[in-house]
Amino acid sequence: MAWWQILLLTLYAGLEILDELQIYSSLNTPVGAGLIAGLIMGDLPTGLFIGASMQLTVLGIGTFGGASRIDATTGTVLATAFSTSIKGMSPQTAISSIAVPVAAIMIELDVLARFANTYFSHRIDHLIDQDKINYKAVERNVLYGAIPWSLSRAVPVFIALAFGQGLVQQIANALNGDLLWLGNGLTVAGATLPAVGFAVLLRYLPVKRHAAYLILGFTITTLFSVLFSGMQALGTGLSAVNKGFTTIFNGLPMLAIAMLGLALAILHYKNIPINKGTAQAQSTESQSNSASSSSDDDEGEITDDEL
Amino acid sequence: MTNSKPKYKLTEQDFNQINRRSLFGFQLGWNYERMQNSGYLYTILPQLRKIYGDDTPELKEMMKTHMQFFNTSNFFNTIITGLDLAVEENEGIEGKDTVTGIKVGLMGSFAAIGDSIFASLIPTIFGALAASMATQGNPVGVIIWVIACLLICVFRWKQLHFAYDKGVSLVTDMRDRLNALTDSATVLGVFMVGALVATMVNIKFAWAPQIGKVTMNVQNNLDMILPKLLPAAVVGFVYWLLGKKGMTSTKAIFIVLILCIVLGGLGVIAKI
Repeated sequence: MAWWQILLLTLYAGLEILDELQIYSSLNTPVGAGLIAGLIMGDLPTGLFIGASMQLTVLGIGTFGGASRIDATTGTVLATAFSTSIKGMSPQTAISSIAVPVAAIMIELDVLARFANTYFSHRIDHLIDQDKINYKAVERNVLYGAIPWSLSRAVPVFIALAFGQGLVQQIANALNGDLLWLGNGLTVAGATLPAVGFAVLLRYLPVKRHAAYLILGFTITTLFSVLFSGMQALGTGLSAVNKGFTTIFNGLPMLAIAMLGLALAILHYKNIPINKGTAQAQSTESQSNSASSSSDDDEGEITDDEL
Repeated sequence: MTNSKPKYKLTEQDFNQINRRSLFGFQLGWNYERMQNSGYLYTILPQLRKIYGDDTPELKEMMKTHMQFFNTSNFFNTIITGLDLAVEENEGIEGKDTVTGIKVGLMGSFAAIGDSIFASLIPTIFGALAASMATQGNPVGVIIWVIACLLICVFRWKQLHFAYDKGVSLVTDMRDRLNALTDSATVLGVFMVGALVATMVNIKFAWAPQIGKVTMNVQNNLDMILPKLLPAAVVGFVYWLLGKKGMTSTKAIFIVLILCIVLGGLGVIAKI
């Protein structure tokens, strides 16, 4: 790893948490981290693959509120960096042997950052109690909160990248040598972990009420994916036998599946009766205006999903 | 008492400033004790100073009020800010109790709606799309998600002025719509989880026991019943596991990790 790669990855780690707290551009998510770390390391497919697996693993694990959660983004950064720079560290092995443990350890540092900010909150209390309030100082003490947040991600990433390469190389050698069975197990684990994300998500969603849609989504996709992969295999076989056969079969496009889901969601939305009666009972004209314009906003939301 | 009411009227510049501060500074001060308290004060401090005037006892009082516990979804916080400022601008310090009522009364429900839409549903739908493209090395899905997030930022920017104009009636009005929208979005979410189970858990049985002279191909037998039965069973198992007392998602991840190492190491299941 070159020094500028370590520097850029550290910088990204410090910035992504601020993005997550504020704008949420989605480049702070594991799959976004995979994209950026992949670009920095010069191996986009590996970065995207690790990012995607971690994204799916934490799919349902997301609350913005108080609770600290497993930091899959930092895990993705380190796993991508080591998988692309260390010989014998396959992406799947990097996911289960680097990304997941790192993500779990990072919970503690997240807690630390949230604690550190209590100090600044107390300083603001103190400033307000002064006879002459220094307003600029109040604002500065809010913004200082960015420092513990940033450092809680940037410091561990820097230390791991700068000093951890030897250790990771030893682990990789062992997993390909004496501990090959463990390496195999870790590879299987890397492929299975997304299942946890799906299960957590199902706990979040009203599965019992919408069970029919779960079955539909699973069955339609299963049938199509078998069909598509079978057809791809058939196409490859045919074109090997017959040079005249040039039709290319692609894999199953997930966007098409998502469109089916979207269509079902729209049908469901149209069937929910919106209780207009109560709004109209106390309604002035401005209120019914607000109802219609808020419904415009809602429909804007659905088109967002359509993208 | 009536002459103590403030004269200041918020301008378009004020709204832009609040939105800028909300998008770039609202959660920086997040702390365990009072969570978003300092962030809330930060977003509206310049406007409070204009409404009450610098170094007045009213301003000090309201700054203390806004430093109390506050926590809501950072996708909906400016709706509460808009309702709050509409009251403070008209009633000044006399509206203090109303303002506290609005903030405490609404932060919980907006946190719940915001978390279910923006922490759960949007990441599921767009994250699933981005991830399924990314596994094939295609970054387009991530870019689609970024664009969607920018559109959401526009929505966040607009809601402040909207809430300020419409007042508290907006909330009861919006709740029905939002609930309907959330419910429909969960339909898409549940559907996508089904689709993901079928495509993204890439494991199969490698186990081939010898029964007499016949080698049984377990995976093929299962495929004849229903393809992708193993991924569905794994997800079902973890779902059941999560229903156990004291189980957290982090613990579940490590249990799956260990089971996979054992079963993968023994050669019972393998990666496709």
